[in-house]
Amino acid sequence: MSADDPIANRPTRTPEPETAAATLQSRVRLSGASLPIIAATIALFVVSAVFEPDSVRHSAILGMLPLAAVLAILAMGQTLVIQQGGIDLSVPGMVSLTLVLVTHYPGGNSGRLAVAIILAFVATIAAGLLSGFIISYVRVTPIVATLGMNAVLYGFVLQISGGNPTSTTNALSDFAGGRVAGIPTAVIIAVVLAGITALIIKRTVAGRRFEAVGSSLLGARAAGVEARRYQLAAYACAGCLYCAGAVLLGGILGTPNLFQGDSYLLPSVAAVVLGGTSLLGGRGSVIATAVAALFISQLDQFVLVLGASNGVQNLVDAGALGAGLAIYSVPWRRLRGRERDMKAAGHSGPVGPDQNPSGPTHAPDAVDAGTTVTSGSHK
Amino acid sequence: MGKAQRVLALGLAGVASVALAACGTAGSSGGTNAANVSSSHVSGAPSWCGKKKIVFGLADGFGDNNWRKITVGEARAEAALCPSITKFVYTDGQGNTQEAISQIHSDVANGVNALVVFPDAGKAVLPAITQAYKAGVVTVPYRVFPGGKAGVNYDAYISTNFAQAGQLWGDWLDKALKCKGNVINLGGPPANTQSLAEYQGLKKATAKCPGIHIIGQTPYYVTNWDPAQTQKVITAVLAKYPDINAITTDFGSALASSASAFTQAGRKIPAVATEDSNQLSCQRQKDVKSDPQFQLFTVDSQNWMVRTAVDYAVAKATGGKLPSSTVVPQKPFENSLTGKPHNVECDPSMPPDAILSSHLSHAAQLKALGQTGFKG
Repeated sequence: MSADDPIANRPTRTPEPETAAATLQSRVRLSGASLPIIAATIALFVVSAVFEPDSVRHSAILGMLPLAAVLAILAMGQTLVIQQGGIDLSVPGMVSLTLVLVTHYPGGNSGRLAVAIILAFVATIAAGLLSGFIISYVRVTPIVATLGMNAVLYGFVLQISGGNPTSTTNALSDFAGGRVAGIPTAVIIAVVLAGITALIIKRTVAGRRFEAVGSSLLGARAAGVEARRYQLAAYACAGCLYCAGAVLLGGILGTPNLFQGDSYLLPSVAAVVLGGTSLLGGRGSVIATAVAALFISQLDQFVLVLGASNGVQNLVDAGALGAGLAIYSVPWRRLRGRERDMKAAGHSGPVGPDQNPSGPTHAPDAVDAGTTVTSGSHK
Repeated sequence: MGKAQRVLALGLAGVASVALAACGTAGSSGGTNAANVSSSHVSGAPSWCGKKKIVFGLADGFGDNNWRKITVGEARAEAALCPSITKFVYTDGQGNTQEAISQIHSDVANGVNALVVFPDAGKAVLPAITQAYKAGVVTVPYRVFPGGKAGVNYDAYISTNFAQAGQLWGDWLDKALKCKGNVINLGGPPANTQSLAEYQGLKKATAKCPGIHIIGQTPYYVTNWDPAQTQKVITAVLAKYPDINAITTDFGSALASSASAFTQAGRKIPAVATEDSNQLSCQRQKDVKSDPQFQLFTVDSQNWMVRTAVDYAVAKATGGKLPSSTVVPQKPFENSLTGKPHNVECDPSMPPDAILSSHLSHAAQLKALGQTGFKG
């Protein structure tokens, strides 16, 4: 072994001391994408407390949380689908069908509620399986497949309800509107579901494979993962989550509208986007999505309490979504890197080949003056 | 196929389609077959039921909610009173303007003689209504103004004045609040004419009491008549205003669904003025002991308004006696303060979305809603 031996003399990396932040991150298992939305949500609550303290009063928070929890659960289902590079436009149909089943089937009779809920889960999971099969095995694009499924579900909504909205049972209202140790039941259910889903995805083999398929279909296939099965599972599990959220919603609202689900499609996608999951598929976090749902709900509440008109409310929602998209989609680092590179090379801005003012393209003034004088005189 | 042949084929196709379109709109102009001077009517039947046999049609722009279903029930019940009506044709535009237009056309093509229309799409269905009128069909739009003029685009427009509803609310609030208090006004979608008119009436009536203030967003908080949005608005309003003495809204059921928002905020439901809803009335009966300030005033939901439209259309088509007025008044229904014309009416055996101000019997209403009963 000589001093010239490259292998023996290769530089060895000394292990870096673990920073406190890295330890916390690895323990809590937050992906880097979660941090912006968590920071934004905390900032929003601070801003709300400063500018409109009424919007963060105890009663206001308690009133806002149940519907925020419902949005969180629905958006978590949407996250699973979007992580696989798809999108689920059947959220309105799934939610409306579940609501119709838990209101019409019991007919006010609390004894039939359990059967109604089971029926709703069977229906939504079956619909999710069918969508997933059409998308992953028959290779129809998700937009088309889920849009079609939505129409089918709406047909069932009309068929079962006969066009009449009705009320749910007292049992469901009491359960969904109730509180455990001062925390709304809906919130507890949302937290539990988020925890279970996140645990399955991040800590089980199946979950990691699910993420792998979403990140790179070809890479996962090369590694021997049966990709289509995981894509199918995404839609089925999403259907299950939509049903859970809708059952809670039925209890919270008491008498939901016939097509109550309509108002949840765009917010569910917005929560996924604000949570940092790319619409093209790949890494995502259901916990970040749930936090984003809370952000959206508090933002709406803040603007409402502030007294802004309906138009302003819509603009604020759109602005928040645009800002979220910009933060996650614009390659800030690459832009900053390019600017740095250009400054280092001595240019102040982009240059091209036609910028030399003394080149041969410049025409002499005399000819120009001559032509302009004679052009307009023939009427 | 040579060029000349192609041109000929296209020309023939063009002529054929123009001819088909013309067939759909041809016919005698302006409802002349309805101008039957002798207003004799079938004995034993109401005076609007003339002797000429007709086919009656009801074209609904949107049929899928309880109010519409009950209204259709009322229309059928009214039509059943007249033996001259040989057939009752019901079509539903399903909230789609194009669908509504084609339903009106198909009614005309299928030989409907008297057509009542609920023009949800407003002026967008005026051309279809006008075509039906010019084809000789007695055409009567009601409740939503489609534009145009009676005698030019249709036979008559049966209307109601929503500002009057707001005024009835305001007059009651002046008494219920003893001329002092804060009122929150909830409405439907943005720029909705019904909600706007109601606000105008409410403002006029409460102007008599300078101590009554309509607070929060005016003309109204947008709720889109959606119970979820209503709950969000109620939560925000309760957080912002510690003193709310009354709520006015044109959709009482959504407010009933938000009762939990009041409980969450530790507040009681204040005085409410709205259109009648079984659910809201039952909620009030439930809370009457624990919440004495929850006084309730409702105006009639006017499902029976379609009966006036049916009377007019059938009278004109069969030669019966026309109704004396095309304007249907807003009427109070329940008043928890005076009990006149009714005290708060709750029927737990009827579903929450039943409308008790309807002129249908409870059994007929259940049938119209397609339900067999409610176990409660």
